[in-house]
Amino acid sequence: MAIVGAGVVTPIGGDLDAFWAGLDAGADGVSSIERFPVDDLRVGRGGEIKKLPAAADAIGSECRASRLLAVAAHDLLARATVDASPSRVAVVVGTALGGVEELEKALGGDWSVRRAVGGLYDSPAHILARHLGAGGPVLTVSTACASGATALGVAADLLRDDAADLAIAGGYDVLCRFVMRGFDALRSLTRERVRPFDRRRTGLLLGEAAALVLMAREADVRAPRLGRLLGHASISDGAHIAAPDPEGRGLERAARQAMVEAGVTAADVDFVSAHGTATPINDRVEAAVLRRVLGGRAVPVNAIKGALGHTMGAAATLEAIMALLAGRHGAIPRTLGLEEADPDCDLDHVMGSSRAGRPRVSLSTSAGFGGCNAALVLETAA
Amino acid sequence: MSRVAAVGLLTGWGEGVAALPEDAAIAAAGREVVELPRPAVTGERFRRATRECLLGVASVEAALRDAALHTSDIAGADTALVYVTAAAYGAANRSFIDAKAGATLHFPYTAPSAVPAEVAIEFSLRGPYLILIGGAAATLDGLWSADRLLAQGRCARALVVAVETFAECADLYERARWLAPRPLVEAAACALLVRDDARSARGTAPASGLDAEAARRAGSTLACGPLVAAALARAGGDEHPAVTGQWRGRRARLALDACDHARAG
Repeated sequence: MAIVGAGVVTPIGGDLDAFWAGLDAGADGVSSIERFPVDDLRVGRGGEIKKLPAAADAIGSECRASRLLAVAAHDLLARATVDASPSRVAVVVGTALGGVEELEKALGGDWSVRRAVGGLYDSPAHILARHLGAGGPVLTVSTACASGATALGVAADLLRDDAADLAIAGGYDVLCRFVMRGFDALRSLTRERVRPFDRRRTGLLLGEAAALVLMAREADVRAPRLGRLLGHASISDGAHIAAPDPEGRGLERAARQAMVEAGVTAADVDFVSAHGTATPINDRVEAAVLRRVLGGRAVPVNAIKGALGHTMGAAATLEAIMALLAGRHGAIPRTLGLEEADPDCDLDHVMGSSRAGRPRVSLSTSAGFGGCNAALVLETAA
Repeated sequence: MSRVAAVGLLTGWGEGVAALPEDAAIAAAGREVVELPRPAVTGERFRRATRECLLGVASVEAALRDAALHTSDIAGADTALVYVTAAAYGAANRSFIDAKAGATLHFPYTAPSAVPAEVAIEFSLRGPYLILIGGAAATLDGLWSADRLLAQGRCARALVVAVETFAECADLYERARWLAPRPLVEAAACALLVRDDARSARGTAPASGLDAEAARRAGSTLACGPLVAAALARAGGDEHPAVTGQWRGRRARLALDACDHARAG
């Protein structure tokens, strides 16, 4: 499936160009959270988007999740043309939180109907579809923090089955008190900086973002494209409600199945965009999985959550886009915050600065609550 | 192509299609929500699990009874799990928002993925995994996805599980009555799909009106609706069941045996 173009809004940049420039320059999008009270929390920092671009207003909704999607869609449509009958345009978005901030407001005293309805996790997808005039299938995927990868896979399947001619697919999530309280209570948030795969890593920080791509069947695309989604897989751990399988078996199966579907072997993989949350267990498990999947090959690996925070439903789509941009620009962004690699996470980490290189085939891995694992295999356009 | 080999169905009316009234609106006798009690699923592992998690587990147990299968028959990487809900996360979200303290252990259960996670853990399911949010149309998408996974050989069987609970958020639904007709009937359902290549030759069956029957007899069960229809089809001996669903103005149709995935806006 062709990935024709991409659009994003992130803590390090309000559009695709700014996002890439920030990653390449080593920008840090983490700051003190200002949009809602955090005084009662252990940690009050995250990848907060301080000012939304004006495109957010066009969607006509106060729901921040929908507004983030509007900005990403505006950026996408400035770079790619949706040339299909509206009834043949699908919208597939992934989210860990949906419109839960609207539910917070509804329960906090705003008794309007729009808040009550906005609290449904699929509301932002329908608002986006209406905004875009997309009349095809509208799907909301919620495989927790792997949602942004699963959504791209589902979109590819819809296209392959001719249920749509174009798919606008991706992921989003907002920083809100609900999720900050939750991760704060779990003590997953670090008081230090986010250090994926670093010996001194102490946890994650959350971020907010939206990322969308325009997908089409390869044969239908005449315009230049960003790249291709070659393969995908989503696999259950069946091990724990909130922790990864200790051996990473689900993540490994996802990566291997995605590679089989893509028709590539470990020898073909030029780059890995890791989930890399910077929690002690996740990084160790993921590193072991990648070593097994890559067969010990030294393949450049990065994780961009040090720059953005963990953007949850948006994370995997952002990472996929980053992988394609790396191939386009001939540079692999560094893992911000990684200074002293953990021996237990022995991989060919991209540290210190961007590394020159033009990866053609990339593997992107993701995982989330509920034993959700997903992997994508992507190819940058020649 | 795939066929529905079994359906486990729990609703506020009881277990299976035999428990469904002829007319849910009459049977509800003015009740806005027909509740489904917390099932008697036991075990230390479930001490923190929410009602909706236990309903998901109980629906799979019911499907296994329908198929005369044992837990060990579905364990492993050859079983796909597709979970769909429109709103079963609402209760956990609300209680977390309302809680004054941090509620550490509660937070992971606010994620929609908590229900399929408990199902996957209980039945050792380690195959393909998909979670969709939405009503009947999302379940049809889930059935389509399960059929696809089977056709690709990514699994030997697929469980499509849907759970809907309403009681804890009844006041919110009251504010948006147009979302679904009354009564809202809590439900949990699981369809077991298996590959059946012989069915492809028979083609797509016409819609049989089971969606209307499901809605009339069960009431509003949102994501569970298509699975109620599938249970009705099986109970009626229909070899070519087709189910339709409607959600927020969008319609979807899928013939379960041939998986003709068509939509009209």
